[in-house]
Amino acid sequence: MDSTLDSLLLGFSVALQPDVLLYAFVGCLVGTLVGMLPGIGPLAGISILLPATFGLDATKAIVMLAGIYYGSQYGGSTTSILMRIPGEAASVMTCIDGYAMTQKGRGGAALCIAAVGSFVAGTFGVIMLTLVAPPLGAFALRFGPPEFTALLVLGLVFLAYMSSTSLVRTLLMASVGLLLGMVGIDVMTGHFRWAFDIPELGDGIGIVPVAVGLFGLGEILSTPSRSVTTKVVSPRLRDLLPSRTEWREAAAPIARGSVLGFIIGIVPGSAHIISSFLSYALERRLAKNPEDFGRGAVAGVAGPESANNAASTGAFVPMLALGLPTGPVTAVLMAALLIHGIPPGPQLVTEHPQVFWGFVASMYVGNLMLLALNLPLVGLFVSVLRIPYAYLYPLIVMFCILGVYEVNHSIVDVWIMLIMGVAGYLLRKFDFDPAPLVLGLVIAPILEMSLRQSLVMSNGHWSIFVQRPIAAALLGLCAALLVLSALSILRRRRDWRTKLAAEEAGDAA
Amino acid sequence: MSTPGLDRRSLMLGAAVSVPALSLGPAHAEDYPSRPITIINPFPPGGAADVVARPFAAVVEPIIRQPMVIETKAGAAGAVGAQVAASAKPDGYTLLMHLVSISGFAEVDRLFGRKPKFTRDDFVPVARLIADPCVLIVNDQQPYKTLQEFVDDARKRPNELLFSSSGLYGALHLPMALFMKAAGLQIRHLPTNGGGPALTALVGNNAQALVSSIAAASGQMKAGKARALASFGATRAPAWPDVPTMKELGYDLEYYLWVGLFAPKGTPEPIVTKLRDVTRQAAASDAFRQAMTNLGQDVAYQDQPEFRTFWDADARHIEDAVRSIGKVEG
Repeated sequence: MDSTLDSLLLGFSVALQPDVLLYAFVGCLVGTLVGMLPGIGPLAGISILLPATFGLDATKAIVMLAGIYYGSQYGGSTTSILMRIPGEAASVMTCIDGYAMTQKGRGGAALCIAAVGSFVAGTFGVIMLTLVAPPLGAFALRFGPPEFTALLVLGLVFLAYMSSTSLVRTLLMASVGLLLGMVGIDVMTGHFRWAFDIPELGDGIGIVPVAVGLFGLGEILSTPSRSVTTKVVSPRLRDLLPSRTEWREAAAPIARGSVLGFIIGIVPGSAHIISSFLSYALERRLAKNPEDFGRGAVAGVAGPESANNAASTGAFVPMLALGLPTGPVTAVLMAALLIHGIPPGPQLVTEHPQVFWGFVASMYVGNLMLLALNLPLVGLFVSVLRIPYAYLYPLIVMFCILGVYEVNHSIVDVWIMLIMGVAGYLLRKFDFDPAPLVLGLVIAPILEMSLRQSLVMSNGHWSIFVQRPIAAALLGLCAALLVLSALSILRRRRDWRTKLAAEEAGDAA
Repeated sequence: MSTPGLDRRSLMLGAAVSVPALSLGPAHAEDYPSRPITIINPFPPGGAADVVARPFAAVVEPIIRQPMVIETKAGAAGAVGAQVAASAKPDGYTLLMHLVSISGFAEVDRLFGRKPKFTRDDFVPVARLIADPCVLIVNDQQPYKTLQEFVDDARKRPNELLFSSSGLYGALHLPMALFMKAAGLQIRHLPTNGGGPALTALVGNNAQALVSSIAAASGQMKAGKARALASFGATRAPAWPDVPTMKELGYDLEYYLWVGLFAPKGTPEPIVTKLRDVTRQAAASDAFRQAMTNLGQDVAYQDQPEFRTFWDADARHIEDAVRSIGKVEG
């Protein structure tokens, strides 16, 4: 414990040097911006700035690039809440209740809660990273393909809680998402599936173009046909800050989101995207009034926003403790270290303590900076909505197209986004919720990969899922959840979903 | 107030002169390059081609006095970017930085009865920049201390051991396929979606063996999480003198994760010559050498004639490996 404190002091002595502080600030600022711009996520932001770090030393480079990563998780919520455009994949869930809050005139409150939740989650993540990174790293390693499969099955079970529509509509959307996730090269046999000779489709349909299209473009396209345009919101300070009730409603989801997100974040293999989905579902499962979700529930913003921030910090555990990437972003960060002559590996902390502890300490500072950066800007951001739609929306469409193109330099992605925009418009007209579709698309390829990897490992025996304790426990949890739901159906309790179904039927009649 | 007008005039004049020069560009190699050169990086940012291309561009820019832009066109394990480069205008302004795996795509397409979208003939090799020999590593919880012990055990238990790779027919699958063919082994394949996940699978003991580049594996090797049994280099790696080469152990195998610069077919000869000159200077520069040392690499520069010979021989091995993997029944 003493040695941790000493090391942390060493870290702060590095992180508080003025020039390191400056690079942390630049990283956080750029991160906030790329998080806000639709399409451009942390991966694109980091890759664009990677060459700019060649002239820096390793500590400054990693501090700045990591700042972009966790900063983007702060910024991603802004456009989701104000305009229903997910700045990047992890903020899809924030679109639903965040935007509903904006329509109720509580956009400023939602932004504040998102910023504070992100700060709490980020700081919690760094504290965990400081104290228990090595044992957690060992735990992360026990997450092989079978455990990952079980985690994703849990995600599928939670799908039913994902949406503000009836179960039938939710499952229908999820199935479409899962089917779209099947497009691409079969990883085990190399066959092209549903790619229509378009090489870009070999890697599957990207999440970002689909999310930006379905949510953002769909929203924009449906605006002109709405009879009542949202009244111009002129923010007063009181409207910008969350009320006492809203804070109380947000506290527990922020705490749960931080823990859940961090745990999911340390699992190797792109699981951080599902952290916000899982947190949303968890909050809804625990909520007293689940039917409020989708209509501006505070917990629906606080939980997922905290979860995605904690997950982005959790992702540093395997990277720093083991030298193994958990996803594409950490892979680029490791390449950045490598370029500066620091081979990432289990010995990073002993061989390069300045880099390791400087980096950890800079994350404490960075989270504070982001809070200081984001809270005062809330008023400014909300004012953006006062721009008349005739000017604002064409600009947003342009940013969407640029951002989506920039990610892979692929015109195919832009087409996918435009097609999904039309689809999003139609879904909105027919009262379908696109969120389960996006989750299906996120889960399908990784679930397929990990399931088939597990079966390769066991030579085709399904028993591998019960022989490995973590996988068995997760699957047991899935079974318990299903049994609980089945029981409530057996007891014929009319829960919120049947109410919703009845409402929808009423609408149709 | 007259200066701006003058500026504009001279600007116009400059434009008028440079426009015909541009349109004649390819024919006049002495003018080349008269505008920015794009290098296509067919892998994700921070990937094997990217980390070489960026320092390379930084060194080349002051020599050619033009910007050199890295454009990422990732997708389908490097096939998308290669195809973009193959169909680019062969004027020397679009180049490709690609890896050893460029040789395998056409053979995979043939295997599946597809018409190859591009072949090796669509590219002119300019130069090889680095060539990192691969190593066969095993998880440290496995008992094998030598390659022979590993081979014996794998023979005793066919199809029971597992090796991970960066993906089917990928750059880390091919050398294992060559080794399994040479040693007559059957080891199950656990494909992942990249070099990082492949290494994660090995360190987590979800796979027992992996062929990796030395640069990518050295962190885990130093920490004792992974043990190298043999290297695919022609000689022992200076940093790992205790790891024997495949050749020493009786397997005639060499495999490098090399990175090379290519131009589209039909690029005029004078321009290719200019590019070779520039690349030679860049590869010899201290800045580029230092950048590669940071990556744990040595510059393994080969000019066009040598590189062409090397590539032809290497591609035969790769095509051989693809055929020996064959079509996988899913």
